[in-house]
Amino acid sequence: MRPVAGGALGVALAVCAALLAVSAWGPLAGLFGGDTDAASVTERQPVGAGAALPDPVDPAFVPPEPKGLSGLDHVSFWSPVKRSTPVRARADRAAEVIARLSKRTPEGTRNLVLVLDRRRDARGTLWVRARLPSEGNGAAGWVPRSALGGYGAVSTHLVVDVTKLTATLYRSGERIFEAQVGVGRAENPTPTGEFYIRNKLTRYANAFYGPVAFGTSARSPRLTDWPAGGFVGIHGTNRPDLLPGRVSHGCIRLRNSDVLTLERLMPVGTPLTIV
Amino acid sequence: MDDIRSRPTLAQLDADGAIEEALDAVAGSSRGQFLRSAALGSAALLAGLSDTVAAAPGPKRDTAILNYALAFEYLQAGFYTEAESLGTIRAMGVERERWARTLGAHERAHVRILKDVLGRRAAGKPFFDYRGVTEDPDDFTRTAVAMEDLTVALLGGQAPRVSDRSLRAAFFSLLTVEARHAAWARRIVRVEPVVSAFDAPKTLAQVDRVIRSTRFRARRPKKEGRGSPRFTG
Repeated sequence: MRPVAGGALGVALAVCAALLAVSAWGPLAGLFGGDTDAASVTERQPVGAGAALPDPVDPAFVPPEPKGLSGLDHVSFWSPVKRSTPVRARADRAAEVIARLSKRTPEGTRNLVLVLDRRRDARGTLWVRARLPSEGNGAAGWVPRSALGGYGAVSTHLVVDVTKLTATLYRSGERIFEAQVGVGRAENPTPTGEFYIRNKLTRYANAFYGPVAFGTSARSPRLTDWPAGGFVGIHGTNRPDLLPGRVSHGCIRLRNSDVLTLERLMPVGTPLTIV
Repeated sequence: MDDIRSRPTLAQLDADGAIEEALDAVAGSSRGQFLRSAALGSAALLAGLSDTVAAAPGPKRDTAILNYALAFEYLQAGFYTEAESLGTIRAMGVERERWARTLGAHERAHVRILKDVLGRRAAGKPFFDYRGVTEDPDDFTRTAVAMEDLTVALLGGQAPRVSDRSLRAAFFSLLTVEARHAAWARRIVRVEPVVSAFDAPKTLAQVDRVIRSTRFRARRPKKEGRGSPRFTG
């Protein structure tokens, strides 16, 4: 009998232990995908201290669904010139110096360049191929990355057609603005090629330029001795009756309402194509 | 006078030294030295905010903490976005590309929600100069590891100090996600995802000093002027 009694006691203890285990772990089993449903958990309460714990606090905010980047094909980068630096023909500090970049523009703003390419030389120095202020045909050269500051990104692109006398602004490849323009006369033509918007001037008192003037990296091929270097601007006018037409010394003139719209849509650093 | 060598840098956050060791093996470039030792001063991530954060508990302090978190998310989102836009991430191979794209998307989502929550009180986006780090896959990766670890240290220090309980709950949710980011980043560079049983939080001053040492926060360039134009007309 003793062995039988001992066996019965052992079985009883084992059953009790199993019941206790199921009872205590039931809620967690439910959490981790067990077959205990919410109703059965409720029926078995109280099951210990866990039953008295409060629900989680509702968070004040939940971030939106993460989104990948799109439209990268239309993104361009500009960068401020951090220190005056020679521009070289190749990404090599022994290469020929083809120009010099200054920190400031003639208008007193920080000089910017358009970033075209990047390369590391054999010494490990990072170089940037930058669009340069020029008289046309998209001059570019290499400067050490360390001579430039942070990158700014734009997804806009302005195209000026000196034949059709139009300015068209694209954002992420889509046309968002178009206006008629005035361009240079035959003796002082607006240079054609690849350029960029270098700065923006406002609140000056000169009606000839209208309310807003954008400075570009394009230079007049004829007016090289013009004050401040003969850079081409994109600006308003006090003679809207002359537009569209070939009326300027090389600058691109818009009606004042159009240049104000452009100010709202076009950030500094935007690439400029003049065809 | 402040001795730049006394400022905490990545080396002091990377307590186990495993990140640097592994990344030196990967990159072996002078850029590694840059993050460890560069300590020239630049603007604090959010100058003056630390004082507000230290103020008495309440809505004002909660706003300051949210804004500090926003500034940090700007830093991270800009970092990943720039690297992706420049094509650096695309050149890193499938595993790292997925990791970096995912983290970039998360950080941009964090920026959006913090700006929404703060509304008109949201601080503006600072201008960053990542100094070439976003242009090299190895430099980018090692910096991402340090940045994610630093984010966890920052949120771990500030989340408990948020007064509003539902805001605090949201902060802890951000913290756990950032901790997963940090672990994923460490796994990417083949170092231990978890090095200790307890993460010690960092003070704002400590975090700010590390940010300063990177010199990623830069002065916004002056692109607009008010002088009379002298263009060709």
